[in-house]
Amino acid sequence: MNKVITINLAGNAYQLEEAGYDTLHEYLDSAADRLERNPDRAEILSDIERAIADKFRALLSSQKNVVETKEVASVIAEMGPIEADSGEAANPGPSGAGEAPGGIKMEDPANTAGPGPVPRRLYRIYDGAMISGVCNGIAAYFNIDPTFVRLGFVLLTFLWGTGLLVYIVIAIVVPEARSPEEKSAASGPPPTAQDFIRRAKEGYYEAMKHFPDKAARRDWNRKFKREMRGWRMSFDQQMRAHAEQYRQNWHRYWGGHGPVHPGMGFTLPFLSLLHGAMTVVFICALVSLLHTSALFGLALPPKVPVWLAAVVLFMTYGILSAPLKAARRVFYWGYGAWPLMYLVDATIWIAVVVVLVWLGMHFFPDVREAIHTIPALAQQAAHDIQSWWKNK
Amino acid sequence: MDFNEKFAALRKGLLEFLLLQIIAADKVYVADILRQLSETEFATQEGTLYPLLSKMRREGLLDYEWKESETGPPRKYYQLTPKGRDHLRDTLQYWAQINETVKRLGQK
Repeated sequence: MNKVITINLAGNAYQLEEAGYDTLHEYLDSAADRLERNPDRAEILSDIERAIADKFRALLSSQKNVVETKEVASVIAEMGPIEADSGEAANPGPSGAGEAPGGIKMEDPANTAGPGPVPRRLYRIYDGAMISGVCNGIAAYFNIDPTFVRLGFVLLTFLWGTGLLVYIVIAIVVPEARSPEEKSAASGPPPTAQDFIRRAKEGYYEAMKHFPDKAARRDWNRKFKREMRGWRMSFDQQMRAHAEQYRQNWHRYWGGHGPVHPGMGFTLPFLSLLHGAMTVVFICALVSLLHTSALFGLALPPKVPVWLAAVVLFMTYGILSAPLKAARRVFYWGYGAWPLMYLVDATIWIAVVVVLVWLGMHFFPDVREAIHTIPALAQQAAHDIQSWWKNK
Repeated sequence: MDFNEKFAALRKGLLEFLLLQIIAADKVYVADILRQLSETEFATQEGTLYPLLSKMRREGLLDYEWKESETGPPRKYYQLTPKGRDHLRDTLQYWAQINETVKRLGQK
């Protein structure tokens, strides 16, 4: 009696004996290793998985649904070892690329991007996208479920349109992954069969089996909705209480004038403009920081990493813009038709920022480049914090 | 003398040329290619073929399209691009030239 392991190959489930699974795992691992420098790595690996799946399918029938170990071995023998890059000089020495015997420098034309595996970059990914692939790209970059990213943007949009604004900026600035090289750079090393195998082994797909259960899903939905409702109600309540406070204060200071100041209608757009301009200055500062590692030409103090400076900059912006935000909010709530005012105001603010960012992108190529460095920066920050935590 | 071993490098180098010829004749998928090659000295395996096809596609010599199959999931069918056809023509010319040279040398 042998233990059987279920794997997912090219979208279909196959059952393998445990030893056969180990053999396959090893084969795919070595294939992934050998293709490390190949720009078509993701594609070749999926071709190979599909070919193996084809061969497995031919072995199975309605009476036989497990692939035996010796069958796995013969399928792998049939596949043959993966050649790193056929047509390239045949010198699989451990030193890898370098000087060929003739002293001719070997250069893979498609691999001049740099040594080692393709570095991960932020791209928009259109396959399976809802709008323009922004969330998809971010999800691929951080290797998480795009649904969470989308949810994050939606939640952020409730915070004075921030999510929407960020989304639009990313959609404009970040290029779409078109070529296979870009696609593989967008998601880093692709998930290979052994990932599926590992996840299956860890019971990753167990939870999915329960999800199609209608009652459980309905239950989950209901719970989620109830929580959202509660959250929204408490938010509204809080806002109303704030407004009441503002109104009272207003009465105390302005006595008979009533809750609405006549000049308010003119002041609000002005405040929005000021706030928008401030945001743009902040973005410019961030761009200059990310791009030149200096703030508008002012060098950072030694030993201060760029990401820390970016965080400080962000906080400074938050502190400086807080009074403006507060003032604007007073207006919405002091003014009777607050949802309308809110919309008009938010639109002005977003329009100012979008137009200025767009201009910046068009006239300063640096801006575009700087936004590209953000992901790498975030990663470095995470890394720095991690090493700091370890040293503690 | 073991020609098999002696000409391994030569066969390997010629494989790309043969793929161009096979694909020029008809739209094919990988199993077709393997079958056609299996009866010749150039018999090879998927492990060699997929990276080579990917490289050729990257160089713009060929392209593929997905086609449904009756028995299983869709398959990649390869076909030559105009650039691939040009390349094949040039290669054929060069090959004829080499053959000429091999025959001519030493005959006097």
